[in-house]
Amino acid sequence: MIHPLILIAVFVVSTVLGYFIIRTVPSLLHTPLMSGMNALSGVTIVGAIGATGIAFLSGDGWGAQVAGMAAIILAAVNVFGGFGVTHRMLMMFRKKKSEKLKKLTGVIGS
Amino acid sequence: MDFYQIIISSVLAATVLLGISMMSRVRTAVAGNFLSAVALLTGIGVTLLFAGIITVWTLWVAIATGALIGSLLAQRVKMIQMPQMVALFNGLGGGASALVGMMTLKGSMLNVECLMFNVAAALLAIAVGMVTLVGSLVAAGKLHRVLPQRPLVWKGHTAVTLLLLAVTVAGIVLGTLNAQWPSPFRGSEEGVCQLSIIIVAAASSLFGLYFSVRVGGADMPITISLLNSLSGVAGSIAGMAIGDVFLVAVGGIVGASGLLLTQIMCRAMNRSLLRILLPQGVNSSTVNSQQSTVNSQLEQRVMDLEKRIQELEAIVTKLEERVQKLQDREQSTPPLEGAGRGSAQSSSSVLSSAKDVIIVPGYGMALAQAQHQVRQLADKLESRGARVRFAIHPVAGRMPGHMNVLLAEADVDYEKLYEMDAINDDFAKTDAVVVVGASDVLNPAARNAEGTPIYGMPVLNVDEAPEVIICNYDLKPGYAGVDNPLYTRPHGIHLELGDAKETLTRLIAQIG
Repeated sequence: MIHPLILIAVFVVSTVLGYFIIRTVPSLLHTPLMSGMNALSGVTIVGAIGATGIAFLSGDGWGAQVAGMAAIILAAVNVFGGFGVTHRMLMMFRKKKSEKLKKLTGVIGS
Repeated sequence: MDFYQIIISSVLAATVLLGISMMSRVRTAVAGNFLSAVALLTGIGVTLLFAGIITVWTLWVAIATGALIGSLLAQRVKMIQMPQMVALFNGLGGGASALVGMMTLKGSMLNVECLMFNVAAALLAIAVGMVTLVGSLVAAGKLHRVLPQRPLVWKGHTAVTLLLLAVTVAGIVLGTLNAQWPSPFRGSEEGVCQLSIIIVAAASSLFGLYFSVRVGGADMPITISLLNSLSGVAGSIAGMAIGDVFLVAVGGIVGASGLLLTQIMCRAMNRSLLRILLPQGVNSSTVNSQQSTVNSQLEQRVMDLEKRIQELEAIVTKLEERVQKLQDREQSTPPLEGAGRGSAQSSSSVLSSAKDVIIVPGYGMALAQAQHQVRQLADKLESRGARVRFAIHPVAGRMPGHMNVLLAEADVDYEKLYEMDAINDDFAKTDAVVVVGASDVLNPAARNAEGTPIYGMPVLNVDEAPEVIICNYDLKPGYAGVDNPLYTRPHGIHLELGDAKETLTRLIAQIG
């Protein structure tokens, strides 16, 4: 088990580093940034997988197993949905290469 | 194993940071997002490997189910629904963190060496996670218009909110004490543990409900940013509970990002976070319950009517398209819609002769879904040799960067989108300004109307422009409820009221 102080130190360092790096993102990209962060907040899936796996292996009650499966599904929706949406948005910021595609997205969008 | 885990987690966290820093430029942003995603997926793989649970097939089923739902949602969602989508995803992350906290307490993951830290972190993860989940669901409901947009204030709102916070804290303390010094609870440790989980989960859920239900539509950018931050913090705390470095680090980064966005939004609205989260004194306490039930009935009726209007508008748009087609065929006939609208003629003549135009979009553009028409207008003006730029106020819309995304969806080149500070001095030099569904962000009263909610808020200097064409739905003051003196300026104001989509379509046709 990792010592609590190390964990707290990791939290502080990553928060400070994150703060200064994210400051360089222009407001133009704030929505994709936020939805990207959104996807990253699904990182809790790592915890969910670990806890659920152990619950299964050690034969904990079905309550813990169901809760764990729910946590994994929620977090996975968060991760895959978040990154997918971010990707879609960022692609819109790129200039469209083909005129056809432009028209197509225009039709779908409206 | 600990050592390797820390090293791998640090490398992955650094990769995530690199991915984020690549998101500061449009050119590298797609790759940056991809890099973060890869780092996260690797992190999942590493966890499966290290915990020795890679063979538990049910985990894979759960991951695949979530991935499928998530990918479908990401593909199907319309850009106009992005704010509620972001809010919903925030909530899911928070909910998952809360569940991880609960499992840590109930399962076999508790670490006996530092039990107190462990239990406290797990309970805190439940609390922050549930606040995020419920708060986000309410916010998403408001953005999706299934809940009333205006702030709801219930009886004794502040007192109840603070009480719920206190109960949450008490629950955490109870659970932690129970774990560390079980002697007073001898024989019933298990029950007390369960009780503390229930207390914390229930009180923090209610707290989430109470705090987000009183946030109004225009304060949503701040609320969403804050919930974004909370979802990261919840994950980070859950990481502390189970001792996962990667989770702690990435959660911390997300927390910082959300906090930064919250700060930027607050500054752009000249509001303090506390004033949004806590009631503003006298104002709220005078609202009695009777009044609010009447209000909510009215709200419901208005919402129904709005739905009906939207349906009718869709029909009108289709009809207008047909009219337009017929007109194109018969070019000698003057535009039909223009009849009886004197101001329309002058608006179009202003735009016809303008060489430098700034377009100011607001939430109204999003509501009317007029971003494509806005782009068509810009294209038209550019084809006539005019220079067209877009001025984006930081809080225009319902989330940070909302306008940028909508305009990008309509294929507006992002180099034409200017932040407020970059373009504010140019309003005086421009020929014409077209306002599409914006009011508060260009209200000159913000500079001198002391005591109003928008006083001191930085605004776009639209009032310095010689000609201003306003394509708003009506002349009602914006969300802040402060009249806009610009509307009654004696010269150079052209009001084009009504649905922005129709107004713009008409203008484009008239410019010829």
